[in-house]
Amino acid sequence: MITRLPPAILAVAASFAQTLDRTKPPETPPLAPYKLPASAESKLPNGLGVVLVEDRRFPLVTLRVAFHAGSRFDPPGRSGVAETVAGLLKAGTPSRTARRIAEELAAIGGSLSAAESPDSLIVSGSVLSENTPKLLDLAADIVRNADFPPGEIALRKQNRIQELAIERSQASTLAAEKLRAVVFGTHPYARSLPTPEAIKAITREDLLKFRETLLTPANATLILVGDIPPRQQTLDLIRARFASWPGKPVPPAPGGEFPKPRRSITLIDRPGSAQADILIGHITVNRRHPDYFPLLVGTNILGGGASSRMFDNIREKQGFAYDASAHNIPYKDAGLLNVNTQVRDQVIGPALEAVFAELGRMGSEPVTARELTDRKNYINGIFVMQLSSQSGVANQLAGLRLNGLPNSYLETYVTRVRSVEPDQIERVASRYFSPSDAAIVIVGDASKIAAAVGKFGKVTIEKAK
Amino acid sequence: MKLTAICAFLLSASLLPAGSVNIPFEKFQLPNGLRVLLSQDNAAPVVAVYVIYGVGARSEEKGRTGFAHLFEHMMFQGSANVPKGVHYREVESNGGFLNGSTHPDYTDYFEVLPSNKLAVALWLESDRMRSLAITKENLDNQKEAVKQERRLSFDNQPYATAIVDVFPTLAYKNWSNSHSIIGSFEDLNAASTADVARFFKTHYAPNNAVLSIAGDIRIPAARKLIEDYFSDIPSQPQPAPPVLTEPAQTETRWQTYKDPLARVPIVVIAYPGPKRRSPDFYALAMLDMILTTGESSRLYLDLVKGRKSLLNIEAGLGWPFGQPSDYKDPGIYGLNLTFNPTFTARQIVAQLEEQIARLRSTPIGADELERARATVRSMRIQSLQSTMTRASLLAQYELLDGKPDLINTELDDYLAVTPARIQAAAAEYLKPTRMSVLEVIPAPKESSK
Repeated sequence: MITRLPPAILAVAASFAQTLDRTKPPETPPLAPYKLPASAESKLPNGLGVVLVEDRRFPLVTLRVAFHAGSRFDPPGRSGVAETVAGLLKAGTPSRTARRIAEELAAIGGSLSAAESPDSLIVSGSVLSENTPKLLDLAADIVRNADFPPGEIALRKQNRIQELAIERSQASTLAAEKLRAVVFGTHPYARSLPTPEAIKAITREDLLKFRETLLTPANATLILVGDIPPRQQTLDLIRARFASWPGKPVPPAPGGEFPKPRRSITLIDRPGSAQADILIGHITVNRRHPDYFPLLVGTNILGGGASSRMFDNIREKQGFAYDASAHNIPYKDAGLLNVNTQVRDQVIGPALEAVFAELGRMGSEPVTARELTDRKNYINGIFVMQLSSQSGVANQLAGLRLNGLPNSYLETYVTRVRSVEPDQIERVASRYFSPSDAAIVIVGDASKIAAAVGKFGKVTIEKAK
Repeated sequence: MKLTAICAFLLSASLLPAGSVNIPFEKFQLPNGLRVLLSQDNAAPVVAVYVIYGVGARSEEKGRTGFAHLFEHMMFQGSANVPKGVHYREVESNGGFLNGSTHPDYTDYFEVLPSNKLAVALWLESDRMRSLAITKENLDNQKEAVKQERRLSFDNQPYATAIVDVFPTLAYKNWSNSHSIIGSFEDLNAASTADVARFFKTHYAPNNAVLSIAGDIRIPAARKLIEDYFSDIPSQPQPAPPVLTEPAQTETRWQTYKDPLARVPIVVIAYPGPKRRSPDFYALAMLDMILTTGESSRLYLDLVKGRKSLLNIEAGLGWPFGQPSDYKDPGIYGLNLTFNPTFTARQIVAQLEEQIARLRSTPIGADELERARATVRSMRIQSLQSTMTRASLLAQYELLDGKPDLINTELDDYLAVTPARIQAAAAEYLKPTRMSVLEVIPAPKESSK
């Protein structure tokens, strides 16, 4: 049984075994848990929260001022106020024109911008670190004093109405708008894009009132990440610009009851549509809820990227669509599951069946060990890589503050993802993925697809706007 | 330590700071000619692996346009030990991302991964450098994929054909520089597996490549892995580089192109650019900053907000196929101006020339230069935050200049530009007689007859 080999051949074989086996991917060590760089937190007497994180690798500083002040705070009948405030925050203050703000920013190698979401309005900035005081001057001026010059308001409204027309010419926008309306009912999360009429109706007074009520110190956290001056000196810089900002009571976030999930099918008729857009949704949970991590891993197995079940079945096996995916969007008080694909009219029936089958299967049989390991590595890999830049750290810290999460959330994230078990996924899937109480929205040419869609239950047909 | 910190603070408070970022790196070469750059930064668990080959569209031969790009696709089709699909799966299932891209003068590939997966990226890159799977099935498949890419990303997009296929023929007269980088369907069809094998053997040899790794590594361990994975790939004799010289331009070139997909008109403009890394090169880069970059630039303030004639501005040395860091002679200074249709292309070009005349006749002010310097510095340092950018810049500087240290020193060349230099560069390089203009006119199909 023993094959005799000359010593030279044995030596070659031995050295090969010690070096490389190129035939399979190399073994690698596990990912190390994330360590947040040293951070310091404090609060000014007017209520402004302050978070400082030192990172001296590059002579840069990244700023966020995060407010609980998003589109859910739009006054009734005044949708679009939050996004207009964000869009015009740099358009002028009593002491600076838009041009002067742009020139001063360029002179310090800086940038400032603002963006809103349903729950928040976040001012983002960055600067060469030796100019940190100047960036704080400009940030303080715009958040405290932005006065929305009438000429800039008119220009913004005109451009925004054009943009909205282009966005609503896309089937995906129509589907997303309808899904939010069905899933969130009368809760402000149901609103998405403003109508052109709502934009036209916005007045300078609306914008000033929003700023005065919601852009206030106790409603905000100021985050500085990067090559900042020593802590006391940085706090002095912040106090000099923000301590005199008058504190005000923080208004409660408008909310309301979420409707109980129930099965519905809405077909938005878009004559001439080249394909059918399918969007299926369900209310889910926020980031504080114990279901969040199992739901995150489960949604990824279902429809996160090119290795997911939906991609593999709907696209690769069946060839119904170019893409098929699922993701969960967490807001402060709830989440929204989005499951979507775009298919040819002829296969709308079998495609819906295939999507329902994948949704149902998640709640009725355990995921495989290989799926679980791969997806956990994927989620954790993305997480740690996002934290490699100043803006990644600043965004995560802003997200923690806006969602009422502790700093330890970042350091325990990798472990929490890793500890998700198949039975937890099965349980959350039967709770949130079940087609029996899902909201189903389809955008397409009703004359071609209504009959096939009708086989899945009662269909409400609406005209595309 | 303490003393240095205090000194640094005093200096930065009182003097104009010089470019103060230093990216540490080590360079070595394997016996087969592969040049390697390693830059260690253990602050975040991320690693970028970048491989650049000294071959691009300018190396293509007549009858084989689009070949460098077709070949780039072949690099994702598997190799001796990496079955088709595994390259993507190994990177993406770990949360990483990857891509490749074809440029006029080089082709590059990268993986960005959590740092515990460094060996996986080296396994993937070395296996395809050693043993690419060149089969008829893969080639036919990728010909179709490239055609589909052409239909979706070029033929079905406004302005893409004008900029990618037409504009180079106006800006350049030497075929090596002017032919389409994406290529024609005829030439793609004509490519054979023998062409692919020859191209692979010649141009994808280790002595025509640079490998760089930035991020969370330990240099001795990374070096050992590289030696293990890459040392036994044989080097190959290299052909003479293509001749790229351009005839001198002595008069304005103007061409119109009707674009059935465009809704808004644009003018695309080229001026032959200065020699890479000459003082004029940096002067023109700073001029571009003052003229076109950001909401305090001259074109934005005077034409977008003032006269409301421009809607959008893109410009730069090397535009549209590159940026200043990877510009190679002969290159251009390019501008793409999207304009309000109540103006004509001639009016827009006249407005641009007024702005250039101003740059020629009057030195720029100290505050304007200061803004441009701060912007250049900030953009540079911002970009160096990215692990991927550090890896790619090191390798590009090595391949194009043989000077990877430019990653730390080049910012000083930008900051040294004076108002007089900018004025002289405007006069010498931005003359009307050196201008090529492509006017793209929206021509929707239904109304074109």
